[in-house]
Amino acid sequence: MNKQTWIFALLITVLTCSFFVGKQSVTAKALLIPSNFPTPTYDLSKNPLTEEGFALGRKLFYDPLLSKDGTISCASCHQQDAGFVQADHDLSHGVEDRLGKRNALPIFNALFRKSFFWDGGVPKLDFVPVNPIENELEMDEKMDNVVHKLNASTNYRALFKNAFSVDTISSKEVLQAFAQFMYAMVSANAKYDKFVRKENNTLLDKEELAGFNLFKDKCASCHSTDLFTDDSFRNNGLDNEHPKDKGREEITLNLADRAKFKVPSLRNVALTAPYMHDGRFNSLEEVMNHYANSVQNSSTLDPLLKSGTRLGIPLTSNEQKQLILFLNTLTDSTLINNKDFSNPKH
Amino acid sequence: MKNKLFLLAAFVIFSIASNAQSVQLQFKNQFNGAPLSFDQLYQTPIGDSVKFSTLNYFISNIELVDKKGNSYKVPQDSSYFLLKHQNDSSKTISLSNIPAGKYQQLVFTIGVDSVRNTLDVSRRTGTLDVGAAARGMYWVWNSGYIFFKLEGKTINQVDSLRKNFRYHIGGYGGYDSKTINNIKVRTIPLKSLVVKKGKNPVITIDVAVERFFNSIIPVKILEHPSVMWGDFSVKLANNYEQIFNLGGIKYE
Repeated sequence: MNKQTWIFALLITVLTCSFFVGKQSVTAKALLIPSNFPTPTYDLSKNPLTEEGFALGRKLFYDPLLSKDGTISCASCHQQDAGFVQADHDLSHGVEDRLGKRNALPIFNALFRKSFFWDGGVPKLDFVPVNPIENELEMDEKMDNVVHKLNASTNYRALFKNAFSVDTISSKEVLQAFAQFMYAMVSANAKYDKFVRKENNTLLDKEELAGFNLFKDKCASCHSTDLFTDDSFRNNGLDNEHPKDKGREEITLNLADRAKFKVPSLRNVALTAPYMHDGRFNSLEEVMNHYANSVQNSSTLDPLLKSGTRLGIPLTSNEQKQLILFLNTLTDSTLINNKDFSNPKH
Repeated sequence: MKNKLFLLAAFVIFSIASNAQSVQLQFKNQFNGAPLSFDQLYQTPIGDSVKFSTLNYFISNIELVDKKGNSYKVPQDSSYFLLKHQNDSSKTISLSNIPAGKYQQLVFTIGVDSVRNTLDVSRRTGTLDVGAAARGMYWVWNSGYIFFKLEGKTINQVDSLRKNFRYHIGGYGGYDSKTINNIKVRTIPLKSLVVKKGKNPVITIDVAVERFFNSIIPVKILEHPSVMWGDFSVKLANNYEQIFNLGGIKYE
């Protein structure tokens, strides 16, 4: 890493210092907070990043032991080369070929997010893994059984003792290890980032810049900040009736939340097809076409997608192309190639 | 000087300890006044034939209030209890270090308060551990604890068909948007509870399960065989709030 060109705030400045968790000495792991990002939402003091905890979270993330029949790991639906979503799957694919209800969301930049999942049903990162583990369409396992299986493994017991100074593993350490792996997964090294942080004299080309300006004008009210989401829930007009998936309403039980879904981050969006909560669009061209030409009206349609009688966002085909060129500058190849986040067995 | 401080501290600790006593709470699940049994067929006040298979509930944030209105709160981290009908020992709550005095009210939450529903995982140990004790008492997708769980079968008198019913009631009010809040803080008048050395009071709380079906509104099982996250859960929570009442106080 070149400090002169990467303007990063170093949250933990001492890279190799050891500190103590209980009786065990652990090694602090550096966590870099990008200067162009909002403040973290996760309370790092409750679960500070350590080499041992992170490595354990990584091992758990790639371990199919977490699923009921030992066939599915977290990485089955969150693949590194696909920006941590499941490539070519509209709906997430669970044990016994069961299909989930929604399209898997990417997991990077969780450190900064206000809630998790398409409906925001889980407000705390610590409890995110319990959802796919216990969902019967996904890993269909029980958290207490995961804890039993881990305690039955001498290897895991040794690793947990190393990382958390415990002789017996409980859900607390399992979830803290997971949280460390997930919150350390910061994606902020796209061409766009280098451009806004003025690193290496990086410039967007003319078309990308035109796309960026269009984006600021037409997209950034929802896909705001350098996380490219305001973390709100909105109905983006996919359908005019919503018999199957009520979105945020399923959590709040408020009719005004019908068919509202979490505004997804657009980081690495070129890698994370298919798109929308049900994975209905296979390409960014289809997404652009939706916003330009096929937004459907309903009582909860986002007001920003309605102007008088006109629905959607006026975009010429050239503007759509420029927007896509800009979105491509949000691809962070260091995330998908970072060995820290890859399968430790490979 | 240090020595004197130590002696003073030791004296304070000793005098608190000698004045602080234990109090037991015993929850007795009943049906029409008799101990609840999962083997027995019952008739609800609405006339449904039922056989129960699960009854679990959280009791938390226990307080004792004296006649001046001063309240002693059990320290929060040791004030979460998960009572399971099939686990007898879980239905007795032993409180220690209760200051000596006369108390007139017992206050507890049926469920888990909203703060604890959203704390980090290091504050969810013991009965709140989603990977141990709290199995089946936690919603993973709409994260929060199930406060009260009652399950069983109802047997239709006409055709003898059995139908499962499941009541999983939770809802702490929502984290970032307001939604259903089924947290119930129950106040039980005690007349007089004397906490003092050698008294060992035992408070019995009767839990009249039959009144789950009618204490405020009548619940016909076949009309609502499965109630979880939804508006009707509020009515069931209002019903079960009323079923926790004083059985008696004795001194052992």
